[in-house]
Amino acid sequence: MNLDEALKTFIIESRELLEQMEDALLRIEQAEHDPEIINAIFRAAHTIKGSAGLFGLEYIVAFTHVAESVLDKVRSNELQIESELVALLLTARDHIGALVDHAAQGEEPGEDSHQHSRKLIEQLNIYLGHKHAAPTAVAGTLVEQSHKVEREKGEGVETDNWHISLRFGTDVLRNGMDPLSFIRYLNTFGKTINVVTMVETVPPLSQLDPESCYLGFEISFQTDADKAAIEGAFEFVRDDCQIRIMPPHSKVAEYVDMIRDLPEKEMRLGEILVQCGTLTAVELEQALRRQAQSESSAKRPLGEALLEQKVVSPAVVNAALEKQKQVKDSKTAENSLIRVDADKLDQLINLIGELTIASAGTALVAQRAGISELQEAASTLSRLVEEVRDCALTLRMVQIGATFNRFQRVVRDVSKELGKDIELVISGAETELDKTVVEKIGDPLTHLVRNSMDHGIEPADVRIANGKPAKGTLHLNAFHDSGSIVIEVSDDGGGLKKDKILKKAIERGLVPADASLSDKEIFNLIFEAGFSTADVVSNLSGRGVGMDVVRRNITALRGSIDLDSEEGRGTTIRIRLPLTLAIIDGFLVGVGKSSFVIPLDLVVECIELSDEDRRAANERNYLSLRGQVLPYMRLRDMFDVSGEPVRRENVVVVQYGGTRAGLVVDTLQGEFQTVIKPLGRIFSNVNGIGGSTILGSGEVALILDVPRLVQQVSAQVEKNGLEVA
Amino acid sequence: MGALVRTETQVALTQAAEIQQYLTFALGSEMFAVGTLSVKEIIEYGQLTEVPMMPGFIRGVINLRGAVVPVIDLSARFGRNATQITRRTCIVIIEVPTGEEKQDIGVVVDAVSEVLEIPASEIEPPPAFGAKIRTDFIQGMGKVNGKFVILLDVGKVLSVDEIAALTGAAGTNAPKEAG
Amino acid sequence: MSTQDKSQEAGAHFAIEGDLTIYRAAELKELVFSRIDNASAIEIDLSKVAEIDSAGLQLLIAAKLEAMIRDKQLHFVGHSKPVQEVFDLCDLGGFFGDQIVIFPHTVH
Repeated sequence: MNLDEALKTFIIESRELLEQMEDALLRIEQAEHDPEIINAIFRAAHTIKGSAGLFGLEYIVAFTHVAESVLDKVRSNELQIESELVALLLTARDHIGALVDHAAQGEEPGEDSHQHSRKLIEQLNIYLGHKHAAPTAVAGTLVEQSHKVEREKGEGVETDNWHISLRFGTDVLRNGMDPLSFIRYLNTFGKTINVVTMVETVPPLSQLDPESCYLGFEISFQTDADKAAIEGAFEFVRDDCQIRIMPPHSKVAEYVDMIRDLPEKEMRLGEILVQCGTLTAVELEQALRRQAQSESSAKRPLGEALLEQKVVSPAVVNAALEKQKQVKDSKTAENSLIRVDADKLDQLINLIGELTIASAGTALVAQRAGISELQEAASTLSRLVEEVRDCALTLRMVQIGATFNRFQRVVRDVSKELGKDIELVISGAETELDKTVVEKIGDPLTHLVRNSMDHGIEPADVRIANGKPAKGTLHLNAFHDSGSIVIEVSDDGGGLKKDKILKKAIERGLVPADASLSDKEIFNLIFEAGFSTADVVSNLSGRGVGMDVVRRNITALRGSIDLDSEEGRGTTIRIRLPLTLAIIDGFLVGVGKSSFVIPLDLVVECIELSDEDRRAANERNYLSLRGQVLPYMRLRDMFDVSGEPVRRENVVVVQYGGTRAGLVVDTLQGEFQTVIKPLGRIFSNVNGIGGSTILGSGEVALILDVPRLVQQVSAQVEKNGLEVA
Repeated sequence: MGALVRTETQVALTQAAEIQQYLTFALGSEMFAVGTLSVKEIIEYGQLTEVPMMPGFIRGVINLRGAVVPVIDLSARFGRNATQITRRTCIVIIEVPTGEEKQDIGVVVDAVSEVLEIPASEIEPPPAFGAKIRTDFIQGMGKVNGKFVILLDVGKVLSVDEIAALTGAAGTNAPKEAG
Repeated sequence: MSTQDKSQEAGAHFAIEGDLTIYRAAELKELVFSRIDNASAIEIDLSKVAEIDSAGLQLLIAAKLEAMIRDKQLHFVGHSKPVQEVFDLCDLGGFFGDQIVIFPHTVH
């Protein structure tokens, strides 16, 4: 009995479907008119309703049913979809989401929730144009009006009903499902005209395993729902059951196919189909005769055999084959994906982290032992561990698109709130990053998006006065750049006003009154704690967080945030984040007795500090790299390391976000894989150190916060200029 | 805020009532003790990585079976001289509750002495004044064989918030000038 | 005990009470089987079945089949409302061949 598991799956899948619904509704609002979108929304609602019914979640079934009925009318073009209806359907979607949350928490929704349900149902009923009738009655009447189902005339059997053939898997009962409930459920959107229970598949009592399922049904079913909707009813048992759904007026040949596929004896099945009213006695005879013929015709595919007999036209066969192929393709796509508990994945990555450390330790011991065979074995091991690590990390990589898409709704709602017309443009949705990072950027991104909409994009009249299109544009973009992912939030709004920011910063005592700051430095002042003030933060974006909190969140992810703005043209905020939070390739350097790790992605090259540069070190803060000016910093000074510098120092050239800087160290100790260990809250304020790692020797090494160091070096240069001796 | 503080005191009080076992250790010539419930383990002093620009009482970090644990010099934390490392120097790993999580912190002590049972009746409240360390660090004064042992309030002595604030201050004061 | 027994000489009459569901399927299988084993005519009273699911239905089908194979008489009597509903849903009245008393309010 694993009802909890099944319920969990229901909740997860419902939430996914609700996301798809939201996405589709927003696309419709953007005036995309594709009937497939409507179908997708309908199916999502239908599947949620159906699955909820299986778990006895009546409050979800009842509410979703009404929404589904409205969608059905839209689908059959009886109802025009316009923005008001989209808005209502979005609200209904949110409400279904809230109801699903109730189910997730295992509680009945409260009175206010029921009240909300009733209110929405009332509004939805207006679209239905009547007090909603019972589903069976609706199905009955609609069948006559609209035959939306693809029905082939002529060759088809007479009946107007669907035929459903069900063989439940052995473990269905043990998995907490009750086959009867599926049949009951069919009766919520149609009527089971005849049901034949396959008693012959049930063993006599002496051989019965009472918890295994032996049941099968042949059902003749009347509905105006489409095939996908009927399939949706069996969503939860699809994998371990044989389900065949035949539309009304299917060709005799298709029944032949079905009969052949089923385990029971052909004659008996045929009789059952007659009993169901699916086939007439004449049709059955025809079917069996054809089958016998096609079998004798040397095992040619049935389609081909039928063609030869000129029973069906080639077009029909091709269409059927195409359809079969589609079904098969979608099946393979589904099968190639599996759900994995994120915790298990995290555990795996942690273990691989330990493995990486152990492997580095082995390599070190092998080197010391000086046995070449051992060294070789150790290096093979390291290489494999590295591959395993990369592989494992890709498991956790997800596309940022899903996160971006969630902002469609945010932008829509906030635009309405603000009374501005703003369009969201998304690019780089396929850019991948670690799931753990994705989970943590939602809040900062929301804040930035709201902020841009609120303060960045001007009201329509101002925009028109400035010769801009009335509709504002917000752009979310993502791309990979040297081991980082860059996420951009840009708007085509008014841009930041430098003098205003500077004035405010001076007022707040963030910078001295006589400070001369670069444009970039001024813009970045808005990320300083204590900058946000009441007249900058409106009730909308200022929900208790300022830009300083955004920056802190980003920094906590080993990332950085940066802003470009042009007055009158707009603002771009750039977030740069590491691709993963777990494991990196590190470059080990030594300063005095300490070892530091520099993320390898950020290392451009290593050079020796020339005697000339070294002598000049006291007078100037840059060196010449092949004729280019390279500002640098000595870690020995930065970290106040005691002892005399070595005779030959080295410069590690690092690059971050387009800026290069040199870090002067004593020794270069080579590359190795590094598992990032957080340093904890105690060290959260340490300048220039981003984390720690454990070396093969078991010793802890500190990871340099290169972004911060590069920023400091370049700030130094901007402030003082290049001090030429 | 007031409510929060009260809860913490209550926790401390209930702990004091329940814990009767204390690990005693020497710091200079004085004896201190912490409740054994918060002691995770005791390890030898060694293989410590210094973290630059830290206040003196933060010795650095160690690798405790894969976890990176900060190490505090208790003597320096009390405003005295840094502990001299000898053969008997130990690191006591203490579990410090911080909010909802727990943080392991290592504490350098001159020597670990023994585990003692001190009944609640033998524990006196901290002196209002005259103590050689901050009184809020003291949970109580335990009487053992006629001598006083200072029972430490680890939540205060090793307050992650306070230490983080101190390290931040130290970090900003450190020389930043480059090149 | 949720089953009542009124043993007769050649036959057996007993009732299944309460839930006829997966949770009790194993227990009820043993019980029904032992009755079929020990008598040549068996009558099972279903009037006190409060709930029946697929596992319960399957159990009744299997019992009937067992009886048929062993040439014994097995009848279900006093079908409770939930049982009737399931028999209706699956159109199984004919298979069991028992008289089902339809109460006026269940007529459709």
